[in-house]
Amino acid sequence: MRAKYLSVIIVFIALVLLPLVVRDNYFRHLFILTFLFATVVASWDLTLGYAGIFNFGHIAFFGIGIYTLGILTTKLGVDPWLALPISGLMTAAAALLVAAPVLRLRGIYVVLVTFAFSQLCMQLVLSQSKITGGAGGLVLIPPLRIGSFSFGGSGGLGYYYAGLLSCFVTVLALMGIVESRLGKAARAIRDNPEYALARGVDQGRTRLIMLVISAIPCGVAGGLYCLYFRIAAPEAFGFSNSTFILSMLLVGGLSTLLGPVAAAFGIVFLSEYLERFPNIEAAKHMALAVIIILVLRFFPGGLAQAFELLARRVAAQRGRNPAISAAPTTAQEQSVP
Amino acid sequence: MADAIASILISGLVLGSLYALMASGLSLVWTTLGIFNFAHGVLMAVGAFFAFQISQSLLPYAWIGLPCLLALVAMIFVGAVFEYVLVRPFYGREDMVMVTIMTTLAGLTFLENGILAIWGPRLKQIGALAPGTLSVGPVHLSWQESLTVLITPFVLAATFLFMQHTQTGRAIRAVGQNRKAAELFGIPVQRMFALTFAISAVLAGLAGMLLGSIRFMTPTMGSDPLVKALIVVIFGGLGSIGGSIGAAYVIGFLEALLVFGVGLYWTPSILFLIMIIVLLVRPQGLFGAAERLTV
Repeated sequence: MRAKYLSVIIVFIALVLLPLVVRDNYFRHLFILTFLFATVVASWDLTLGYAGIFNFGHIAFFGIGIYTLGILTTKLGVDPWLALPISGLMTAAAALLVAAPVLRLRGIYVVLVTFAFSQLCMQLVLSQSKITGGAGGLVLIPPLRIGSFSFGGSGGLGYYYAGLLSCFVTVLALMGIVESRLGKAARAIRDNPEYALARGVDQGRTRLIMLVISAIPCGVAGGLYCLYFRIAAPEAFGFSNSTFILSMLLVGGLSTLLGPVAAAFGIVFLSEYLERFPNIEAAKHMALAVIIILVLRFFPGGLAQAFELLARRVAAQRGRNPAISAAPTTAQEQSVP
Repeated sequence: MADAIASILISGLVLGSLYALMASGLSLVWTTLGIFNFAHGVLMAVGAFFAFQISQSLLPYAWIGLPCLLALVAMIFVGAVFEYVLVRPFYGREDMVMVTIMTTLAGLTFLENGILAIWGPRLKQIGALAPGTLSVGPVHLSWQESLTVLITPFVLAATFLFMQHTQTGRAIRAVGQNRKAAELFGIPVQRMFALTFAISAVLAGLAGMLLGSIRFMTPTMGSDPLVKALIVVIFGGLGSIGGSIGAAYVIGFLEALLVFGVGLYWTPSILFLIMIIVLLVRPQGLFGAAERLTV
């Protein structure tokens, strides 16, 4: 466990120093995207993975974060620095709203309700065009600045660090939460609800708290996304955006936290790479869809599990731990200390 | 006033028919395979575009019903291939429900963008099965709409009879109820799964063709009906096909009423609100049995 924290901190420091080496604006843009999506998937993993809540509406929290910031800054003239935490609070409130039906339902119905919720958000945004800009979205969102330094300057350097910080803080906090009493309670409910109940774990309360906690970083990431692109568009709630982010989660491996974060990196870079090949946008999405299906087919536990198997094989070959080449365990069991 | 009531009734019936075709396919797949097909909406678009293409290039002078029939036959293969590629590899996995949500979403992305790549983003329309309008007293409706309303109950009844009274239909239901026992009785389970998908793809394709001549066709034409079908199956209970069909008409009328009463913009929000209230009071859905299927 300590090694895990240590590696996260080492990667963080490396990423802090990276702009000194890589000065290319395009790469910086890709890293900013990665950080923001990584924040979203890490927080999504808390509900979908660790808590076992079939929350497929996480994208709605992201969109609500985007639109809260967009509306506050353009329509009400709120300072972006103040609007960012408010985005987090708004998504927490939205999570409370979603929780009302979600806590009463099980299984597939949770999927349907959460999906319907994200579609509803899109419909609301499209229909209330006086406030949200409708299909055209909101534009000209003011940038973040400190004094006279605009975060958009020098290739979005400010957003690079803001995104990195949000991702780092989220990952560390979630790692802590997963190992905490609350996180253990959530996993107990996921794995054996009857037993957890018998041991006095409050199912409704735990699931509610998990939903609210996972919504907050997602809202802040949405706010940052809105500030970085300086627009808020209804596509944020769409099926394709949802599929894109969900693929990071499943390709990375549920309940591994770091797997999805790594997959966010891989998928953002891959999809940008695919962009340069054919002239049609459609081919990129089709290729991504095929890759997702192949990974799910051949690496059932996601890439985190594939990586773990590989590491064990290497260790076994070196003869450090000969017994370990036996039956593979799931990534989920691995994360439980 | 009579006009308004009539138009609400008609539009409710048309919407209800489309939703019933969609929701019954979703329910069928759910009860048999225990998975939820998020690509169900795009299958609608696939059916409509197939019919469009066949009528354009193969049978330009024929009555539109013929291309539609051919496209429906093609949908059988689409459904079976869909099951073979996206669902079959994942049977028996512990997280099958979750994984197939992802694979069907990936299938949705693939097909939607495939349609976009082949046919482009321009709006298209299939010719009407029967042109002109039908007037009964003060009520005017296009023949296409009336055919939609009339065809749907027949198709649904045929599906119902097939499921209840044929050997194959019973086999499909047996697989849904107890897969192991069905296997022991010698029912080819995999083939039944493929067949189920084929049937639901045909139902979705038919809905697409009917919609494609009332409104315009786009690659994303299925996403709005899919969301409505989601609401329908939440209302009706996913486990019961009859419940889904009943709920489809309820939602269709409700939507028509709401569009008339509060306008197009507020309708989705209010539908959602009503759905939440129903769930809070009756978590098993409006017509659902008392027990809830867990995953």
